Amino acid sequence: MFITFALITLLGALGMLLQKNIIVAGLFMVVAFFGVAGLFVLLGNPVAAALQIIVYTGAIMVLVLFVIMMLNSHEEEKAQAPRSIQRWVSLVVVAALAVGSVKLVLASAGLKALGISGAAMPQAMTLQKVGMALFADHLLGFEVAGLLLLAAMIGAVALTKRNL
Amino acid sequence: MTGMDAILQGGLQGYLVVALLLFSIGLAAVLLRRTLLMQFMGVELMLNAANVALLAFARFRGGDAQAMVFYLFIIAVAACEAAVGLALVIGLYRHRDTTDSDRAASLKQ
Amino acid sequence: MNKYYWLIPILPLLGSAFNGLLGKRAGKSAVTIVGLGVVLGALLLALSAFFAMKGMPDHRLILNYGEWMGTGSLSVPFGLAVDPLSGTMMLVITGIGFLIHLYSVGYMHEDEGYARFFCYLNLFVFFMLTLVMGSSLVLMFVGWEGVGLCSYLLIGYFFETDFAPDAGLKAFLTNRVGDLGVVIGMMVLFAAFGTLTVSDILTQAGHLAPEVGFGVLTFATLMLFVGATGKSAQLPLYLWLPDAMAGPTPVSALIHAATMVTSGIYMICRLAPVFTLTPITMDVVAWVGAATALFAATIGLVQRDIKKVLAYSTVSQLGYMFLGLGASGFAAGFFHVFTHAWFKALLFLGAGSVIHAMHHEQDLFKMGGLKSKMPITFWTMLIATLAIIGFPGTSGFASKDEILYLAYLKSPALWAIGVIAACCTAFYMLRLFTLTFFGKARDHHAYDHAHESPNTMTLPLVVLAVGTVLAVFLGWPKAFGGDFHIEGWLAPATTFGQLHAAHGEHGSHQLAWILASVSTILGLSSAAFGYFSYKDGLAVSEARAAKFPFLHHLLLNKYFVDEGVELYLLRPIRWFGNVLWKLFDVILIDGVGVNLPGALARVFGDFTALFQTGRVRNYALSMALGAAVLLYVFLK
Repeated sequence: MFITFALITLLGALGMLLQKNIIVAGLFMVVAFFGVAGLFVLLGNPVAAALQIIVYTGAIMVLVLFVIMMLNSHEEEKAQAPRSIQRWVSLVVVAALAVGSVKLVLASAGLKALGISGAAMPQAMTLQKVGMALFADHLLGFEVAGLLLLAAMIGAVALTKRNL
Repeated sequence: MTGMDAILQGGLQGYLVVALLLFSIGLAAVLLRRTLLMQFMGVELMLNAANVALLAFARFRGGDAQAMVFYLFIIAVAACEAAVGLALVIGLYRHRDTTDSDRAASLKQ
Repeated sequence: MNKYYWLIPILPLLGSAFNGLLGKRAGKSAVTIVGLGVVLGALLLALSAFFAMKGMPDHRLILNYGEWMGTGSLSVPFGLAVDPLSGTMMLVITGIGFLIHLYSVGYMHEDEGYARFFCYLNLFVFFMLTLVMGSSLVLMFVGWEGVGLCSYLLIGYFFETDFAPDAGLKAFLTNRVGDLGVVIGMMVLFAAFGTLTVSDILTQAGHLAPEVGFGVLTFATLMLFVGATGKSAQLPLYLWLPDAMAGPTPVSALIHAATMVTSGIYMICRLAPVFTLTPITMDVVAWVGAATALFAATIGLVQRDIKKVLAYSTVSQLGYMFLGLGASGFAAGFFHVFTHAWFKALLFLGAGSVIHAMHHEQDLFKMGGLKSKMPITFWTMLIATLAIIGFPGTSGFASKDEILYLAYLKSPALWAIGVIAACCTAFYMLRLFTLTFFGKARDHHAYDHAHESPNTMTLPLVVLAVGTVLAVFLGWPKAFGGDFHIEGWLAPATTFGQLHAAHGEHGSHQLAWILASVSTILGLSSAAFGYFSYKDGLAVSEARAAKFPFLHHLLLNKYFVDEGVELYLLRPIRWFGNVLWKLFDVILIDGVGVNLPGALARVFGDFTALFQTGRVRNYALSMALGAAVLLYVFLK
């Protein structure tokens, strides 16, 4: 099961990366997000999976697709300097980062140990547990997050208003 | 469960590898694509990768609820960033009539 | 009275300051009074000091005015030392100096820069007195440099002409070459003796056995002799003296006849015990002196300018003095300094009188028949001419023959050279005298206007003539019944401590008679030859010149030495300087030192500016790159 969802996620992300058409790329992104939600379920966290779908795919990706359609740019513009050095260096750097970090993780003894010790499936996360943690222990963070959202909202409106 | 085992059967290292690969793809999207919106989507992908890693660790440490709280905050921040970022993209489009990030290079020396 | 003796050099200095700063505004009379007054005052004080010194048991009067420099092992006091050597020089400087100052009043009367002239002249007296009276070599060197400076100032006095400033510069630079020798010599002496105070050096030298520090001392004395060569115009550093005639005639008389050029001889006499310890240097001194005497005398045979003849004559006579010193005749050499001061000053002032009368005509070939027009000048210059050619009974005879005698004892060849030079001297001096005063006038226009000079000019001539005559009594040679008084007189100064100046074998009085007779007969014959050649005008000489054209041409052009120096020495130096400029200044310093860092900064700046593309993607790449590097660092 894990492999399935992992592959869905990764292939969706790759699809997004390689697509020329932005809207199709956006749709591939949605696929990737669904894969991630599946992974969350496997991790025993259905709440997170639900939130992922609601917020990320439902809100953020919809917003992005709105903007794409509004700006009317379906295709990526012709490259100005083909074969630029940016391309090759970036590829190298990303590949290096990927390979390096994966190797690091696989070789790590501590992670291995943690993987073994925590292997027993815990109780699934419930909304009740989340609520208790959020409103009892981290109330201040919750309020601040709310303020942050407010500020972002106002900012977004202010930035796109034509005549203030 | 170790090494390839972990990857194939969903051990901690498996989830972490998925998260890291997802992160790399997101980084590649930021570096290799010129459209601002593509870069934005890459950033969202990177955030998701971080979330996967976070929740994987949480599960293997006994299902901590604190991790969920932190997950919620990450989502909140991502939402804010999406709103403001997209507003900026729209503003840039109105100003320069393009969404190509390479065109917005007036800070060039 | 002792406490006023420091005024002896300082009075002329004050006079110089007054004349220089306020002279022009104060007017000619004030300048005259101050200029003459300070020298007269110095003369009177010098006389007093002189007699005070005579009263001292060891004939030495040392006055210290505190320490000037005291660093480590070197201690230099501000001190004045009056002993027979410096005392005599002191009187010559102030005495003859005063006479020349008096003469200048008349000679420079119409000149614009009257105050400037007396300022420099007084300054010169100050420096020369410092030179002779200084109790340490350092103070002497101050005077040494100072008289070089004044020589430059006075030679280049007529600064509007092309020639005079160049001549002044030439004198100064040539002196400078010599000064290097003096400085090196002084440093080596300090290393050898640990002190630069003359009396201390001489005391130590007195106790040194001849073998001690031989090489070092020889080097030191040779270096000092190089300095003397520059200051006293010996080969090869004599080139500046003939050109120095561009200065006013009183300057030539004072500086380039009587005093400054004798500084070299003075220095060697001062350090006589040290020089006696180094026979090699003494040989060098003698031979260079003899060679110079002959060399200069030959050039003087054909010169047309009256002052040039006298200039080469001075170089030649200075050669005699060095010959005397080199032959261990310190007293004889110094005696010649003394007698030469009188008659050469007289000759120059007389020439100046003639030039003044002929309205600045200096060409001998244009003079003639002035005997009747300028009697005082005629008679005084006759006395001087007789002295310089060594006519028996004159002071010149006494000093020159003593030198020739000692030269013979050292080496007969030296004596022969000296005699030949003496013959040349006799010839050209009579040539000068005859062409000037006898025969028919060759330039009628100037002749008609000629008249005897004013009293301010003729009075010094008379006094100098009297001095020339009387000087003989100071050193009548032993061979002829005198006691060569000057040798005993100078003994406390030249034979310091326990070391006695090395004496060669003393020949007999008979030998002296024979030598003197030979040289006198030859000399008088040459003189007569000169007289008869020119008494009827230039015809005879022109015929002779036609018979030996090459020789005449060579001598007239001073053996082309100046041209040779220009070609082989000065041009390479100028070329080298040019190279240094083009290479070092332009390329290395401007190019590499200044421009290169600027260019580098620009290149570096341009390079780093490449990274500022303004594109977000590039910046993101940089961050990713950094992260990758960090990751790999941690992987290690």
